[in-house]
Amino acid sequence: MSQPIVQIRDLTKIYSHGEIEVVALNHVTLDIQVAEFVALMGPSGSGKSTLLHIIAGIDRPTDGACVVHGTDVGSLGETELAGWRNHHVGFVFQTFNLIPVLTAFENVELPLLLTSLSASERRAHVEAALELVGLGDRMRHLPRQLSGGQEQRVAIARALVTDPTLLVADEPTGNLDAHSAAEVLALLQTLNRQAGKTVILVTHDPKAAAYAGRTVHLEKGELLNGNGQKP
Amino acid sequence: MLTVLSVALSLFLFTTLQTALRELTQPATSEASALRLVVRHKVSLANVLPEKYQSRIERMPGVMYCTPFTWFGGVYKDPQNFFPNFAVEANKLFKVFTESDIDPKQLDDFIKEKTACVVGIKTMQRFGWKLGDKITLLGELWPVDVELTIRGIYYGGIDETNLFFHHDYFDELMGKKGLVGTFWIRATSAEAIPGLISRIDRAFANTDAETKTETERAFQLSFVSMFGNIKTLIGSISTVIVFTMILVTASTMSMAIRERAREIAVLKAVGFDGAQLFGLILAESFGLAMAGGALGCFGAWALFSNVDIYTLSRGFFIKFEVTPHILTSGLMIAAGLGIVSCLVPAYANLKTTVVDGLKELD
Repeated sequence: MSQPIVQIRDLTKIYSHGEIEVVALNHVTLDIQVAEFVALMGPSGSGKSTLLHIIAGIDRPTDGACVVHGTDVGSLGETELAGWRNHHVGFVFQTFNLIPVLTAFENVELPLLLTSLSASERRAHVEAALELVGLGDRMRHLPRQLSGGQEQRVAIARALVTDPTLLVADEPTGNLDAHSAAEVLALLQTLNRQAGKTVILVTHDPKAAAYAGRTVHLEKGELLNGNGQKP
Repeated sequence: MLTVLSVALSLFLFTTLQTALRELTQPATSEASALRLVVRHKVSLANVLPEKYQSRIERMPGVMYCTPFTWFGGVYKDPQNFFPNFAVEANKLFKVFTESDIDPKQLDDFIKEKTACVVGIKTMQRFGWKLGDKITLLGELWPVDVELTIRGIYYGGIDETNLFFHHDYFDELMGKKGLVGTFWIRATSAEAIPGLISRIDRAFANTDAETKTETERAFQLSFVSMFGNIKTLIGSISTVIVFTMILVTASTMSMAIRERAREIAVLKAVGFDGAQLFGLILAESFGLAMAGGALGCFGAWALFSNVDIYTLSRGFFIKFEVTPHILTSGLMIAAGLGIVSCLVPAYANLKTTVVDGLKELD
């Protein structure tokens, strides 16, 4: 078996609020292979979003190691980490988080502004990403002119446009109706199966988790079966 | 938009105050004015001098020309129609005030006719007068009225609003009392001035009417001192304005950054680092401040370039020029404001983690 794209070893995350300490993750060990579609499931407060944030480089572990594509993300400085995220991680958030004053095209283009691509090259990438998610005819629309499902697809296009190592999605269907949610999940599945993207999905919904190839359960900061394998 | 307008209004006010301060404390000068001296009563400008001082002054080395120059302060129909009016020696006036232009024939007509007067072009236009018009100035300060015929119009010089008539006519109406308000002198050279000042004052020391001789600029500045410490007053107001602008703009930027905390967190998530985000925030703050600054400063410049301040201020301000220096000061304040007002809120926000930023306003 090839080297896992995500290697988590004995990962612990503790939040301190004055004298109160909250153990969000407790000695978690997990591997994710290239081109896997993994769902992290658990009740509220189980630590699934915290684990996703650490993998994606927007939070740091208190202890342990998280190696993504050969890089220990916990050891990078802030500026290095920002650059690393731009190249290796594509985010899809529950609340879409599109910039309201930018068009769909401009929102998707945002990550590319940090690269050395020319304007015409950026345009080509953006158009390809929007075509991939089926919104090639909505490039000039503002977020308020799109439906919830369309906004989330623009967010997926933004996440894909830099061809990242990982595509991470934190409750991407939480604000969508059932039909739009199914469209988005199907799109993520297509990106995984046909484009070979490694997808990590956080969800509390078993129907959403069913789109993944493997489901990992967390509870109170710990993996339920202790070794990261599908139960 | 409101922030831009707030900054614009504040800088409009700042520009106006600075312009007013400049006009009050730096009276306009010319090359010719550098050679002029004013001789007045040592005690007060309200005290008069004997006309016999003129012949003695004229004989002093360094004096090219000397004219009596008495403030008449007459009223034309209504006190609101204020303009300066003086009694002078007609054939010396334009030899002392060489920067003003007048048609030679008109000057000759003025000199030859005792009840003639010459008027600056601004006052001519203000009342729609023409050559040959007869006007009456009602005495407010002096117990006589003067009936004059306009024989000449002068242009140029520092002040195009004055009216000048014959001192002989004034003397005659006053019963030949031989009283003069001030004497204005044109010196032969700048080098002669210091010596001439002391010579004149020494000549009339220990008399009933001791003199104080000073340059034209010093004389004009002495009027400003009557307003009290106007520099400190306007400086204080300007400081308050700038400080208030900083508070308002910083508050606005703080709110704007806070409202966009989630957007900033998303930008961080996609890879924008702290320096880049700080640059974006700074650019927005700077842009807002400069937009307001340009609107306020250039708005003031445009307004005062096209409005007759002399008429609006009833002659208090002869001109009201927003200089490039004042414009630059205003714009620099706007630039500084844009930078300073975003520092604290930007720093605080950039210290917020992506995770915490995404939780904002949930």
